[in-house]
Amino acid sequence: MKSWFSKQVLNHPKRTILVNALLTLLFGWGLNWLIVDDNFMNMLPKDIESRRVWEEIETEFGSSEMMFIAFGNTGKSVYNKNHFQTVWDITKLIEKSPYVDEVISISTMNRMDSEDGFMEIDDLQPKRTLSDEAIEDIKRYLDTNPDTKDRVIGKSGDFMNIAVRPKDGNEVLLFTNDVLTVTDSLLTDYEIHYAGNSYITGVVPEIIQEDVSSLMAIGIIIMVIMLLANLRNISAVSMVLLIIMMSMVSMLGSMGWIFHLTGIEYFHFSMMNTSMPIVLLTIANSDGVHFVTRFFRESRKKGDIREAVKTSLDALFLPIFLTSFTTSVAFMTLISSPIKHMMGYGVAIAFGILWAWILSVTILPSLILLKKWDLKSAALSQSSYLEKWTERLGQKILMVPKRVLTFGLLLVFLVSFGLWKVKVEVNVIKFFKPGNPIRDSSEFIDRELTGSMSLLFKTTGDMKDPNVLNDMLLIQEKAESFPQSNTSISIANVIESMHKVIMDDDPKYETIPETRGKVNNLFTMYSMSGDPDDFNSLVDYEYETGIITSLLNSISTNESVEMVSELESFIKNKVTSNLQVKVSGMIVFLRDFVDMVVRSSFISIGLSIFIIFIIAWIFFGSFKWGLLSVIPLTSAIILNFGLMGHFEVHLSHMTALLTSVIIGVGVDFAIHYIAEFRRNSRRGYSIEEVSVKTTEDVGYPILLDVVSNMGFAALLFSALIPLNYMGGLMVFAMISTSLGTLTLLATIVEIFKKHLYKK
Amino acid sequence: MKIAKLILISILLQSLFALSGKELAILIDDRQSPEDMKSTMSMVLTNKNGKIRSSEIRSYSTDGSKKQILWFLAPADDKGVAYLKIEHQDKKDDMKLWLPNFKKIRRISSGKKSESFMGSDMSYEDMTSRDLNEYSYSITGSEMINNNDCYILESIPSGIKSEYSKHISWVTKDTYLTLKEESFDQDGALLKSKSIAYQKIKAYDIMKELYVKNVQRNHQTVLKFNDLEVDTGIKDNIFHEKNLKRMPK
Repeated sequence: MKSWFSKQVLNHPKRTILVNALLTLLFGWGLNWLIVDDNFMNMLPKDIESRRVWEEIETEFGSSEMMFIAFGNTGKSVYNKNHFQTVWDITKLIEKSPYVDEVISISTMNRMDSEDGFMEIDDLQPKRTLSDEAIEDIKRYLDTNPDTKDRVIGKSGDFMNIAVRPKDGNEVLLFTNDVLTVTDSLLTDYEIHYAGNSYITGVVPEIIQEDVSSLMAIGIIIMVIMLLANLRNISAVSMVLLIIMMSMVSMLGSMGWIFHLTGIEYFHFSMMNTSMPIVLLTIANSDGVHFVTRFFRESRKKGDIREAVKTSLDALFLPIFLTSFTTSVAFMTLISSPIKHMMGYGVAIAFGILWAWILSVTILPSLILLKKWDLKSAALSQSSYLEKWTERLGQKILMVPKRVLTFGLLLVFLVSFGLWKVKVEVNVIKFFKPGNPIRDSSEFIDRELTGSMSLLFKTTGDMKDPNVLNDMLLIQEKAESFPQSNTSISIANVIESMHKVIMDDDPKYETIPETRGKVNNLFTMYSMSGDPDDFNSLVDYEYETGIITSLLNSISTNESVEMVSELESFIKNKVTSNLQVKVSGMIVFLRDFVDMVVRSSFISIGLSIFIIFIIAWIFFGSFKWGLLSVIPLTSAIILNFGLMGHFEVHLSHMTALLTSVIIGVGVDFAIHYIAEFRRNSRRGYSIEEVSVKTTEDVGYPILLDVVSNMGFAALLFSALIPLNYMGGLMVFAMISTSLGTLTLLATIVEIFKKHLYKK
Repeated sequence: MKIAKLILISILLQSLFALSGKELAILIDDRQSPEDMKSTMSMVLTNKNGKIRSSEIRSYSTDGSKKQILWFLAPADDKGVAYLKIEHQDKKDDMKLWLPNFKKIRRISSGKKSESFMGSDMSYEDMTSRDLNEYSYSITGSEMINNNDCYILESIPSGIKSEYSKHISWVTKDTYLTLKEESFDQDGALLKSKSIAYQKIKAYDIMKELYVKNVQRNHQTVLKFNDLEVDTGIKDNIFHEKNLKRMPK
């Protein structure tokens, strides 16, 4: 196969370029069918028990994940005409959105009054413009009904709260856009705070898109500068960039094609696929850099372009194929991920990587062959600064291999203790840096209002049975005893209020009536005077299932684990009626989901290492080489998770998935090193000089690859912690795997070269 | 030429004697109705998920339902609950509810006429007879409904607070019975769609079945009137709260 490729390139460079360009065009045509799906909810698996319970709740009672809008002016009371007019206008306009199911604000809430045996249910705010007396009356009512007040007025009385329930949890982007359009136009004179999962899920994709596109552009510019500084030839840099671009277009096009031909929606480009272009960019860059630097080196030695291309192809065909093949197979393990969109990720990136390999050994050498090179130019005749530095570094390392190896192993060993400290934890708010407006707003709503997160209790039983209702109150009391909890609401609270109203507003009757008949009478009375839809979010149509919503501050998955287990044991021991309770909600689902993703990511990483080991073993025909090929990668993974443990960077579903980046970039360097060592052995270099020669040959392209990818550190400036992690991980993966190769692997090979050297 | 003249004269005469919307509304309002009515109503409510709630109610009414007393017969949970309504022209309607388990009569009121009546798709506004002076009427065309030639009557509330922006009714040309009605919300979107079936009792066309669908909530109500009796001589004193506690035999 190698000779066939070589012949095509050397004898028919133009034809090779044309054929590959046409094929790239064909793959790229698939972009026409590529669908960008930025709805995070579509990516979550539906076969987890907590998700099932959560969905059952949402089907019956509507979406549980609200968007909260708090507006006001610090220190200025909300009880004034303007504020009431504004909340009225916002409510009416938001209600018009087809993506909004319900708006809960002072303008949509009811009041229940009792006077001289007369019960009236009316709007809390009956009209847009209120008199001072009417505002005072509302204030009085809210002061005597603190549960209602807590939901719509801030603790300091200077902010009003609006909770908006989306109609469909799958349309959060359109929902958020609609709501923000209204609030942006009407709340120009107020301080505004937004919170809630619906809001965060709605705005995050845009932030990711903006940050990734702008920061990636910086990364690419830095990459070009670094390549130019070292290769010192615009044509060579352009050729590398062309390979990157063509493989990128083919990868994304392949997603479009597969979706077009199969209709499988896992091949949509989603938020989960954000890291794909970055990963492919580094891999394609690595292929290109290895080939171009090798060509420069060979042309310097041989003084003949054709011969240099031929030798470079001969030297790099197998290693580039092997690195591409192993990385592709490693990414294919993502097919087993619980997030089905990762299947599309794995398949498409594997295709992109393999296509980058084809392009690197066809178009790239053909272009090089067709270009008229000036052999006397600095790029071809002189080593770059980095090249010289790498050679010196390689020599120094190989002078004291045992010391370097001991130091390297010791470092990995010490850092490995951090593995036991790694915590799996997600707090959605902490995806944003401190000081970020989204994080600040959520913290404000947690502090001043009802909180931005909810815990749901699906209660099944006779919702007219006083024992059941009292048990629901007991659960609410327990839920409210947690410091993270602000308030809770259920049908039992409404029954208590109605009981008080029917008993002439006597507070001692703010209880659950003692008989089922009385509870039923209260429901009937409400149906005669109020809107039965008022209970839709609290109890089902047949009074068999109820929902308790506990409003919480933004909590982490670990906090939710503690809360839920304490609540579940409380329910088991204290609930005496025939009430069955299931705890769910976004946070409980997230807890189960994150655990599942982290577990599966570890399995995927382990499996990838094993597969790479097997492939290297088969291709190099030696168990020892198979084992050595995974050493830098394994050390980098230990260092990554160990340092996360030491520096208390929590592992989340996002960070766990991004760790696959290490595999993408980590395996290549070791394979290049091993392939070159074996080649140099065969080419007649003596056992004494083979390691130094190998480090000289592959050290420079490895470090140039690393240096050119340092621009992705720009992602560290993103507002989103997962993107910071992606940037940090790119840099870390590059440095750790390259140093792992040039220190650990190189010194092990040097120490054991007697067993590895084969002519 | 002669034929053309005849057609022209016929059109002129038709427009001269054509019914106006207001006149049609008066004809509907003037339709002969019984002095009083007794019935057993069965009400079936179906929500968007297809779940059903049904109830059975004994009803006595006079004066075109301006005075009405209802006793709940089913479901078992509601048995014994009773409701009395007396409409007033000049003040708020009187609505009282007997809650047998509390042994209390409670006056109730909905500040909002748009609130649903007993969880059904009918609001108090739907249940109250329309004042001819509070609407502007126009006939917008005619259409066949179940083999009945009908006027299409548009009624727009004017000068009153209503949950609706307009109603479109299909009214039979011969008997002035409303067979179908569509009601639109304040934004002009269809809110409710009703269809009505009648039966002849004595000289009256009495509503036999009413189907209402709230298209926005995807909720529907079917109300059937059984055991209908008319002009039975219901005395005025039946509409008294003491009769809420016990249904007269």
